[in-house]
Amino acid sequence: MSVVYALATPAVKSAICIFRVSGEGCHDYISEIFGLDSPQPRRFLLCDLKNNETFIDRVGLILFKGPESYTGEDSFEVYAHGSLGVMSLIVDLFDSKGFDQASPGEFTKRAFINDKINLNEAESLSDFIESASSREVFLSGASLFGDLSKKLSDFSERINSLRVRVEAEIDFSDEGQDFMDGSLSNDLSLLIEDFGSFVSLCINKREYSNNKNIVLVGPTNSGKSSIFNRLLGYERAIVTDAHGTTRDMISSEVFFQSNKFSIFDSAGIRETEDVIEKKGIETSIKKISDADLVLGVFEKKDASLVSSFKKMCDKGSFFIIQNKIDINSSDTSFFDCCVSAKTGEGFNSLKNLVVSFFERNKKNNKNSQYLIRDRHVKLFNQVTKDLDIALKGLNDSKSLELVAEDLKNARSGLDEILGKKFSDSLLGDIFSSFCIGK
Amino acid sequence: MDKFDVIVVGGGHAGAEAAFAVSRSGLSCALITMDQTKIGQMSCNPAIGGLGKSHIVREIDAMGGLMGRATDLSGIQYRTLNTRKGDAVQALRVQCDRDLYKKAVQKILKETNIKIIQDEVVDFLLTNKKAQGVITKSKTYKSKKIILTTGTFLNGKMYTGNIIKTGGRIGDESSIPLSKRLYSLNLPMGRLKTGTPARIKLSSINLLDMEEQPGEKPTPWMSLASPPKKHQKQLSCYITRTNKKTHEIINKNIHLSAMYSGEIKGIGPRYCPSIEDKVRKFQDKNSHQIFIEPEGINKDLVYPNGISTSLPKKAQQEFIFSIKGLERSIITEYGYAVEYDFVDPRTLKQNLETKYLENLYLAGQINGTTGYEEAAAQGLMAGINASNSIKKLKDFVLERSEAYIGVLINDLTSHGITEPYRMFTSRAEHRLLLSQNNAEQRLILKANEIGIVKKERVDKYLSNEKEYKKFYTNNLVKLKKDFFIDKNGAKIRLQEKRSISSLLSRNDVDEKKLFKPNKKDTKLYQRAITEIKYSGYIKKQIREINKTKKQNNKQIPTNIKYEEIHGLSNEVKEKLIKTQPQTIGAASQIEGVTPAAINLILIHLKKKELVSQNA
Ligand SMILES: Cc1cc2nc3c(=O)[nH]c(=O)nc-3n(C[C@H](O)[C@H](O)[C@H](O)COP(=O)(O)OP(=O)(O)OC[C@H]3O[C@@H](n4cnc5c(N)ncnc54)[C@H](O)[C@@H]3O)c2cc1C
Ligand SMILES: Nc1nc2c(ncn2[C@@H]2O[C@H](COP(=O)(O)OP(=O)(O)OP(=O)(O)O)[C@@H](O)[C@H]2O)c(=O)[nH]1
Ligand SMILES: [Mg+2]
Repeated sequence: MSVVYALATPAVKSAICIFRVSGEGCHDYISEIFGLDSPQPRRFLLCDLKNNETFIDRVGLILFKGPESYTGEDSFEVYAHGSLGVMSLIVDLFDSKGFDQASPGEFTKRAFINDKINLNEAESLSDFIESASSREVFLSGASLFGDLSKKLSDFSERINSLRVRVEAEIDFSDEGQDFMDGSLSNDLSLLIEDFGSFVSLCINKREYSNNKNIVLVGPTNSGKSSIFNRLLGYERAIVTDAHGTTRDMISSEVFFQSNKFSIFDSAGIRETEDVIEKKGIETSIKKISDADLVLGVFEKKDASLVSSFKKMCDKGSFFIIQNKIDINSSDTSFFDCCVSAKTGEGFNSLKNLVVSFFERNKKNNKNSQYLIRDRHVKLFNQVTKDLDIALKGLNDSKSLELVAEDLKNARSGLDEILGKKFSDSLLGDIFSSFCIGK
Repeated sequence: MDKFDVIVVGGGHAGAEAAFAVSRSGLSCALITMDQTKIGQMSCNPAIGGLGKSHIVREIDAMGGLMGRATDLSGIQYRTLNTRKGDAVQALRVQCDRDLYKKAVQKILKETNIKIIQDEVVDFLLTNKKAQGVITKSKTYKSKKIILTTGTFLNGKMYTGNIIKTGGRIGDESSIPLSKRLYSLNLPMGRLKTGTPARIKLSSINLLDMEEQPGEKPTPWMSLASPPKKHQKQLSCYITRTNKKTHEIINKNIHLSAMYSGEIKGIGPRYCPSIEDKVRKFQDKNSHQIFIEPEGINKDLVYPNGISTSLPKKAQQEFIFSIKGLERSIITEYGYAVEYDFVDPRTLKQNLETKYLENLYLAGQINGTTGYEEAAAQGLMAGINASNSIKKLKDFVLERSEAYIGVLINDLTSHGITEPYRMFTSRAEHRLLLSQNNAEQRLILKANEIGIVKKERVDKYLSNEKEYKKFYTNNLVKLKKDFFIDKNGAKIRLQEKRSISSLLSRNDVDEKKLFKPNKKDTKLYQRAITEIKYSGYIKKQIREINKTKKQNNKQIPTNIKYEEIHGLSNEVKEKLIKTQPQTIGAASQIEGVTPAAINLILIHLKKKELVSQNA
């Protein structure tokens, strides 16, 4: 495959930047770029990076020899100083050597193609690279390093060992042996229980990343858009002193304390004849009922106004925020948090409030270890369903071949996640577990 | 020189079925075998059917084959296995009178135009990689197609302790020149082995010490077509067991067994282990079951199923005497292991023709299978395909979802074997579709298209189906009830009236109390119950079948350059280049071709498509 390169660190000024290069033949360029002859792989080498005798930077270099590399191909990594100037010079250099810029996920794709990682690992790796918050990194790390695969293989094996007993009972019933003692149904319910707790340790990527929805609500002109802008750190929403400025829901991702949130600024709610504004208000109300956290923004204490907003949010939690404390006196006994969008006062405690709210609320996710995708969620549900039906069938003494079918389906569901070929070594397992044959 | 459309070599179960299929196709056929009195001989235990196997027999039967009929002409005990499980995995096993079975086969073949020739085939008539006939010890015969069904005879060697004899089975010569010829033609070959127990005089054993196992009443039939007027006299089997002492004797002598002395190189079947294997591998079990099976109606001989062995005679005698009821056995023949050549079936196309030599078809144990039913199924398919090819018709290939025979041939030709291959229901991933009771529904019309089923039989089938449909609509759809009795005997009231068929899909309903069919409709009702019970699962299976079919049917262009596909390992590339699969499905069946490799091929094809679209 062609030689590709990519900047592995963000393209911003930083202490160091890392370039990765991979592809057959990329090692042929080592001597002309780094002035090294047959350097040892897997060593951190300090050397000068040059473009046609022009010195660019003093860099660290690590060589990987395929297949002992991430992609399975010959590859190398360059650790250079993180100035934008250096970065662009290196990019120019690689381009001039005919290296292609890697498309997103290219390295992982190559690793998958070269059988370095399975489909499941490949997917969680791209989660790893995409993931923005440090917690997500941790989570996808667990699946990345084969832990998720291993867990799934274990379950797949356990289902298989149940199948061995059921299938032996079907195919060798004339052997005068009891393959399926009463423990089968017990073992199956244990398996279902374990699988259930495993699934509860998995969170869907989408759920995890997107479900931290925060909506700013409140009466018009209370300063919602101003708070939104301050949380973002730049002027995104239009701010005016006219009532009813914001008419459409606008949203953005924000990061604080290594957490990613989706934050929504809504149209202030009031009685209105304006069609467009009305529409905006309707979406606001809808968004409020979906939100995980609703921040009500008010200028002053007004219990009945607050409660009319609170009624709108049914599943998320509702915090009341006082704004404009630069011009109004703050009322900490009534409000959860008092800020000024103008001066920035109180914003640290507002952020803390939000972060700790999500930390507290994600108590289920607190122990989460595996980050999974929609595809997995669907298959997990199916597997759980198949196992449940199998157990029920076993207990209701349904025909055994149907129970066998349920178990087979459950197994192939797991194997699909693992991206394995559905190879059935079932008969072999039966023969090695039981004395069979006349 | 004598000339035939097809020459079948071998008169075992594969050979008989192959020749019969050719004659039903309306072509001329010769069956050349070493001893014509042994056509249809059961080499091992005298039984047809059993789990996974009765399914095959019924499939053969539905396509007009002879095995089911021969079974009914000779059956002396019928038993349905797995009666407490559902329809798909129930199986009929029939104990046969060994001589009557053979006679029945010979009688059926005699009624056809098949020319039976007693001789030994030693070579082929070849012209540039095409087989055009066979050469026997005495003559040369020309033919358009040749079907080889030589069973366990190719360089067959029989072992009892340290005594080695050549032979295909006891009392028969082995086939050595032909084996040499196949090796010299460079067909990929290997050695397999199997074994058989001693035979004992019925009059010398004490049945009172054993558990009797009578046949089923009323006695069913194997064939789905019109059966003979009456069953043969029905007999019982008996069950006894080995014991600690038996195992001690075997352990003490095990080094003398041909299998353990290193004499035999061939691989034996794991599901048909010798008693030596059972004792050695499962040390913690101190008893194994033995079925005492009658060899025939008027025969003073039994077949002790479960103690196949290659121990020396003295040790065989000693351990048999230690078994309850067998203490005073008179042994008429000793057990032995047989080792023989087989041809790697991956060299066969789906129609069972070899890729090496045009016009040469292989069927039966020569392809690495074991069992009469497996052999017969291949014989049938080879016979049909050889005939189709002469008539310039399409290959007759059965899908895995269509028949056990499809599973069998697909497994053989795409995965090869690692031990003698026997059918099991668990080999069929679409097992629920493949009941021994619906073989006709699955296959008869397909077989009728190529004219190998009798017209009366097809007409009868069609009228039966009509009758079933009528029964179904008149009783199960039109009849409605607003209550039912559940399995615990409780009466359940319903909000509104529901049809019997929709009530049958409930798990809790007591079917017997729900609807009481006329006596003549009992079978129809039973069939409806099964179909309704399975319908959810079957729909799912059919969806899956269609899904994989779509991807599997994707054509791979013949000009594909595998060497251009980056990321494919060299080994995989070589295999693909060698096999040149026509479809993605065929590629994915090749050993070592992983899903990742399939994805690469798909990506490559997609890329090519895009490039040509943009060009
Ligand atoms: C000792 C022994 C033990 C067995 N044990 C079992 C078992 O435990 N379970 C099981 O399922 N099956 C067992 N079998 C296998 C079963 O008998 C076979 O699977 C089945 O008979 C195979 O059928 P076939 O038609 O392929 O070959 P066969 O029935 O072996 O018939 C081969 C035919 O080819 C003829 N022939 C061979 N060479 C030539 C030639 N050169 N020219 C002309 N004719 C030739 C022979 O005369 C014979 O008629 C055993 C067989 C033997 C011999
Ligand atoms: N003094 C002071 N003024 C503020 C503060 N926050 C917002 N304002 C002013 O209040 C007015 C309304 O602010 P917006 O952010 O547009 O209010 P809004 O809630 O989004 O209004 P609508 O979109 O109309 O519902 C603007 O003139 C802001 O400059 C604050 O903390 N202190
Ligand atoms: Mg606004």
